[in-house]
Amino acid sequence: MEESSARGHIHPISSLIREANAIFSKMGFTFASGPLVESQWYNFDALNVPKDHPARDMQDTFFVKRENKEESEQVLRTHTSGLQIRYMTEQMKKGILPPYRVIAPGKVFRNEATDMTHEAEFYQIEGLAVGEDISLAHLKWTLETFCSELFKGSAEIRFRPSFFPFTEPSIEFDVRAVGENVPEKLRGRWIELGGAGMIHPQVLENCGIDSKKYRGWAFGPGLDRIAMLKWAIDDVRLMHSADLRFINQF
Amino acid sequence: MKISKLWLDKFFDAPLPSAGELSNALTFHTFEVDGIERIGKDDVLDVKVTPNRGHDALSHRGIAKELSAILQIPLAHDPFNNKSDISKTTGEVTVKIDTPLCRRYIAGYIKGVKVGPSPAWLKERLEAIGQRSINNVVDATNFVMFNTGQPLHAFDAGKLPKGPSLRETKDGPLYQIGVRMAHEGEVLIALDKKEYALTGSMLVITAGDKAVGIAGVKGGMPAAIDESTVDIVIESANFDGVSVRKTAAALKLRTDASSRFEQGISPELAARGMEGMLEFIRHQIGGTIEGFVDVYPTPQPPMYASVTVEKVNQVLGTQLTGADVAGVFTRLGFGYKEESGVFEVHVPPERLDIAIAEDLVEEVVRILGYEAVKGVPLPALNITPEVNKEFYAAEAAREDLQAKGYSEVFTSVFADKGERVVLNKVDGVKPYLRASLLPGLSDVLAKNKPNKELLGLKEIKLFEIGTIWKDGKEVTMLGTISEKGKPLEVALAANESATEYQTLPVSSAERYQAFSKYPYIVRDVALWTPAGTNPDDVKESIKKEAGELCVKIDLFDTFSKEGRTSLAFRLIFQSFERTLTEVEANEIMEKIAVSLKAKGFEIR
Repeated sequence: MEESSARGHIHPISSLIREANAIFSKMGFTFASGPLVESQWYNFDALNVPKDHPARDMQDTFFVKRENKEESEQVLRTHTSGLQIRYMTEQMKKGILPPYRVIAPGKVFRNEATDMTHEAEFYQIEGLAVGEDISLAHLKWTLETFCSELFKGSAEIRFRPSFFPFTEPSIEFDVRAVGENVPEKLRGRWIELGGAGMIHPQVLENCGIDSKKYRGWAFGPGLDRIAMLKWAIDDVRLMHSADLRFINQF
Repeated sequence: MKISKLWLDKFFDAPLPSAGELSNALTFHTFEVDGIERIGKDDVLDVKVTPNRGHDALSHRGIAKELSAILQIPLAHDPFNNKSDISKTTGEVTVKIDTPLCRRYIAGYIKGVKVGPSPAWLKERLEAIGQRSINNVVDATNFVMFNTGQPLHAFDAGKLPKGPSLRETKDGPLYQIGVRMAHEGEVLIALDKKEYALTGSMLVITAGDKAVGIAGVKGGMPAAIDESTVDIVIESANFDGVSVRKTAAALKLRTDASSRFEQGISPELAARGMEGMLEFIRHQIGGTIEGFVDVYPTPQPPMYASVTVEKVNQVLGTQLTGADVAGVFTRLGFGYKEESGVFEVHVPPERLDIAIAEDLVEEVVRILGYEAVKGVPLPALNITPEVNKEFYAAEAAREDLQAKGYSEVFTSVFADKGERVVLNKVDGVKPYLRASLLPGLSDVLAKNKPNKELLGLKEIKLFEIGTIWKDGKEVTMLGTISEKGKPLEVALAANESATEYQTLPVSSAERYQAFSKYPYIVRDVALWTPAGTNPDDVKESIKKEAGELCVKIDLFDTFSKEGRTSLAFRLIFQSFERTLTEVEANEIMEKIAVSLKAKGFEIR
């Protein structure tokens, strides 16, 4: 363990968010945030997750008791994707049309048992680009640029088919980074990073955006996972342990 | 879904490439494969069918169809081109559907079947994918389900209740099959021999108005097929996905049938399922095909979707040609018309996932392979990104507190008390959302205190920037706590004047080092050294004697008197495997003392 200094340490997730913001800010992305207790509209409906979708079952989502009768039942947000909807809706209400470029990191929740790779509370980073001329090729470049900077090398991105109700086409993306400064455990290997895709036209319409004129993409990998990869952390629960034997290593 | 390689081979004229190659093909073009298991002479792939493809791909035919498109090998033996004819009608069975939740019901009446063990090949196929062989009739229904995706059920006709109105006239029906909502409290013993109490929101299959099956979930024991069965009624039907899912969940009875219906499948498949069963009757089971009843009030209309080559390239950022696009539709077996770059595609009835242009774009890119998409730099933007004033303030607070020796923790939002309550906390503990950061911070302060020496800290100082729910609002707070100071919690105020982010340091850690979960032991040693002794040399010699169990040595005090210097070292002992004993630590300290004395130092 390193010798201590008078200076304290920030959480590795905070460090990642700081780094991500610095990288994306240069590419023109605005940092957005939103509430943890979210309406079902933002968390599910507007994202094309139908009312009867299994994800809305009691097992996966934490439901928060409504505060008054007018309110509908709320949830602890299950992903940062709802922040896409919030951001786009707010911009449209202000009369600000695309192009939009946004990153939105934050805490999300899943109602499941915790183990070395699962936490009920964890972090995600949402990215979004909307415009008249946005394509999947831009997503690939953006992720390549981000991962190259984050992993301090030259990163390749590989797409695989996937499914999310709010993107079409939907993909999973893998990264392979090379270079002497890339963390040894990652170097030269394909690593699964997260999900992404072209925003479903209905989702744009749900925000009041003309899907015939505008297109966009979104991605939402887990920050805990990125941190675990970057620093070879073997147990996700350390992130939320508040244990300085862990935090003070960063 | 478990997919057998030998089973897949039967759809093609020649055996497919190796299971490993198939796994690769599926992973990069359709679905992830979780693993391949060798079972007997077969390789079984665990294919992760995505929810949008549960309509068609929870079947060997669906996976074979994908492989045919990806690998460009014709699907020579497609069970959907089965030449079986199910148009012969029978007056011995009637079907009455009393609910919109059943879109189609086909009953097939077969007399004089010979129930017995299944042939070896059928047993092998089913066992390879983890199914138990029961008898030739039940196995055939299961095979057809895993082959086509259409669940089937076989009733022993002889055991079906024959209502009082039957055979009132000479040509009246023998069996009256019905589909209706269950009566509240209606009870059925299912094939698993368990009794299920049904509710008014569940669909049942009836004979003579008595429940004989839970629609789409499981058949009933009263009409189970056994060695004594002679005549059978086969059901190939379509039930509403949401209804089946809710029923299966409520009864805690998720079956291979229910997990297919709950995806929502095309009623057209019901005919494919019955045709598949007919093949078995003809070639394996025997018996006389009396005929069929097909109740299909509103047939599924033909499905079309269209896309332009321009749209494909706009969405993907590629330069594909009309021929590329047409090639994919041909490989997938989609009928299409092309007129000046516009493709109108006739979507196969089982592909309920395809409706809009973007769905077709996905088909094109995944079949061609995503490597067709090359990275292209984002177009330049004239807008400078706004500064997030709350994030700016949070970052400034982090920097400030870090400089003052505070470390950042994340604690849980769940608490023993608070204003807002979570309705479905799994473990039932801490069901509230916190109204303050301080209780959590105080807990983790206590947790960290015993590690102070190990961490080399004089005082534990923590902060958290986190969300609380108080006075009807969700607020971001900044909380600090330390051993000596007073705990403090303030709302994090956005920095309204921020215009540009500060460049702040990020972690320079290269990798995380696992730490021992066992307690540690602290020992001090102080010694007099002659003037001019290098403390680092002394530390080195202590380290050598202390061995691997000593994880930390710090020089924590020095003073000089009468030409000699006193050095005081603090040693921390800890094991990765066990809790160290005082005796062990003392023995090591004794060794160190002996060695220091031998070097001429005086232990104080």
